[in-house]
Amino acid sequence: MAKDRDRLFMDKDDRKLYEKLEDEDLFKNKSRKEHFLYAMAIGFKCNVRLPLESRDGLFRTTDLRPEDESLIKTLALISTENNLEILSNKDEMYTIAEEYAHGGIRLIIDRIDSTPFGAYELHCEKDLFDTFNALNIE
Amino acid sequence: MRIDSLTMNNYRQFKNVDINFNLAGENDLHVVIGKNGTCKTNILNAINWCLYGDEPHFSKESQRLPILNVEAINNTNDGHYCSVNVMVYIKTNQGKYMSFERKAKYKIQKGDGKQPIHQGTEFQVEATDDDNNTKLFSDEKADKQVERFVPKKIREFFFFDGERLDHYFKEATAQNMRHAIFNISQIDLIERIEKRMVILSKELRSEAGKQNPAIEKTRESLENYENNAEELVKRIEESTKQIGIAKEKVKECEDNLKGMPDVEKLESERKKYLNDRDQKKDNLKEKFKQKNSILFDYGKIINFWRPINQVIEIIEDKISKKELPPNIDADLLNKIYNSRICTVCGTKLSEDALQNIADLLKTFKLSKLISIELLTSLSPLKALKDKIEGFKIDIEKVKRDIIQYEKDLAEIDKKLSNIDKMLSGYDENKIKQNHIDRKKWELILEIEQQKVGSFKLQLLAFKKKIEELKKELEREIGREERLKELRKKIEFCQKAVIFVEKIKDQIMDQTRKKIELRTKEIFFELLWKKGTFKDVEISDSYDLTLIHALGYPCLGSVSAAERELLALSFTLALHEVSGFNSPILIDTPVARIDEEHRENFGNAFIRVSKNKQTILLFNPAEYSQEISNILDDNCSCRFASKLMTNEFETTLEVL
Repeated sequence: MAKDRDRLFMDKDDRKLYEKLEDEDLFKNKSRKEHFLYAMAIGFKCNVRLPLESRDGLFRTTDLRPEDESLIKTLALISTENNLEILSNKDEMYTIAEEYAHGGIRLIIDRIDSTPFGAYELHCEKDLFDTFNALNIE
Repeated sequence: MRIDSLTMNNYRQFKNVDINFNLAGENDLHVVIGKNGTCKTNILNAINWCLYGDEPHFSKESQRLPILNVEAINNTNDGHYCSVNVMVYIKTNQGKYMSFERKAKYKIQKGDGKQPIHQGTEFQVEATDDDNNTKLFSDEKADKQVERFVPKKIREFFFFDGERLDHYFKEATAQNMRHAIFNISQIDLIERIEKRMVILSKELRSEAGKQNPAIEKTRESLENYENNAEELVKRIEESTKQIGIAKEKVKECEDNLKGMPDVEKLESERKKYLNDRDQKKDNLKEKFKQKNSILFDYGKIINFWRPINQVIEIIEDKISKKELPPNIDADLLNKIYNSRICTVCGTKLSEDALQNIADLLKTFKLSKLISIELLTSLSPLKALKDKIEGFKIDIEKVKRDIIQYEKDLAEIDKKLSNIDKMLSGYDENKIKQNHIDRKKWELILEIEQQKVGSFKLQLLAFKKKIEELKKELEREIGREERLKELRKKIEFCQKAVIFVEKIKDQIMDQTRKKIELRTKEIFFELLWKKGTFKDVEISDSYDLTLIHALGYPCLGSVSAAERELLALSFTLALHEVSGFNSPILIDTPVARIDEEHRENFGNAFIRVSKNKQTILLFNPAEYSQEISNILDDNCSCRFASKLMTNEFETTLEVL
């Protein structure tokens, strides 16, 4: 049996993209794990899942808290059409997360690059409201 | 009386100068114009030195120089003598001439820092009597002649700096007025009588005390109280003077601050607003951070709301179907099946038993690992779901806070802008200084008023005690038959003191009323605005009040020119009431008057000079076009004082 993973990866080319996030107020003072999860969420939202071409360590799996793990499991289940067996394969779950984050980080940077300075937060705010309203939560 | 001429030989910068105040025309008005530093003020000093032997109007420049002309010192050999002399020739109202001459002799010493040694001063007065015989007076007799021209005690009302006019009704007015009226009343003799009677009374009581120790004890106690009461009266006078000054100073500051913003208060408000602004800005920054944090946190999870719900449903479905938590350990069954031995009892399993295990394993759908993964996820997923549902509440709250802080900041900026607007265009330091000064004088005023209140209470108690002790002393002295005569004398002295005090007050009161009347008459005669004021009053407590035509007191709010005119009128009234219609000499008479009113003041001087010799010493800036237009053609003589290139000699040119 393969040894459990001790870290999550990004595409090597994504390092500079993650570094670029630091310049935006929204991402300041957040950890790489947080950036990864955010990118994963955006990738999932836009359904952009890209396999990693070359792997580069991003953070340790021990950094993940239960709610982070739950999100990754949820993503894995949804991506495999609720195949519960995926839950017994952490490596696969993490790979799915990495691929969505790989797609997400590119979307984020594209969005940042195409919005006026300081306007990214406003876009995010609007998106969040639109998303929330679409959920029809009572 | 008028000054006919002034001769100065070796007096300060005047080496050999004669000024003839010839009367030409109907105005006995004479003007000397000189730059500051040309010893213009020393004309004032020369007259004072000649008549009274002192120089009360020293400038800093003069203080550095000896009274003896420097050029004269340089031209005199070491060890030789040189004199300074000033002569004032006057013409009396009867057309007779008098000369006052003061001469000081000095021995010259040459060498660095060596000053001439004063050898002695002579003062003599030469006067012609009714038979045109010349009489010489020296020493005390000469001084007495001066007292008939302008008494030393009241000279300050005849020869003075124009600043006096400006300040006369600004500081401690009542004290100044009382002082002036007292001096003018010439009641020294009465006062001397009063003092003498008091001393005599004390001496008599002391004599009585020697006769009887009990009397002495009471006398000592009485004298002690009297001395303390006297001290208190002096302190009350001093504090009252300070109150007068403080009131005027507070008023002056208030006048200066009229229409001015309260800078200190505004500065303090400004500081507070700036601190508030910084605080609010920090808070706003923090709120923006919070908002970003919310956006980030929800951005991370909000898109998973539906998937999260799906997974929760799956897990809850499994739980409801009792598939979770697993009641069979599939791994253990597999192990038993493969080993064919029961791990519990250790017996070999039969084929039937193995078949049962195989059937059981077929019905078991979830592995232990998956079950655990699902179960451990339920609680965090529910928490995430709840959190997502709270998005609007969280974000709206922080947005409300942001809006509130932004509103607060806009409000603060508006207030700061208003303060800046109020302060712009003003000399903040000057305004601040006025506020500081006002506070200082208000504090002094309060302290002095408290002092006066406390002193008066003490004085009242002392007076009561004095009366008691006096009666006690009278009783004690009365009991002694042998002191009968002494008692009568003491009673006489005491009655005399009361009588003399009454007379003194009456004279002062009469003088005050006369001066009040004449001040009013002269003021309204000289005044250029005829309808503005109604009356001038000098109260029993010697407060001078100028009444506006509408009936309210207005001395504090009149222009400098009007205030100075009132002071000049008061001075002229003093001249008249004193009976000394001697010349008036004013140094820098209109320096504090704005150009608009100089013309009016010039006209006032012309009117004054019709009945009184008026000598005015101007600096060129003061002798502005407005003054020149009025005085040039209306004065008897005009002189210009000029400092020679060696800076030790001033000459006077007739213009």
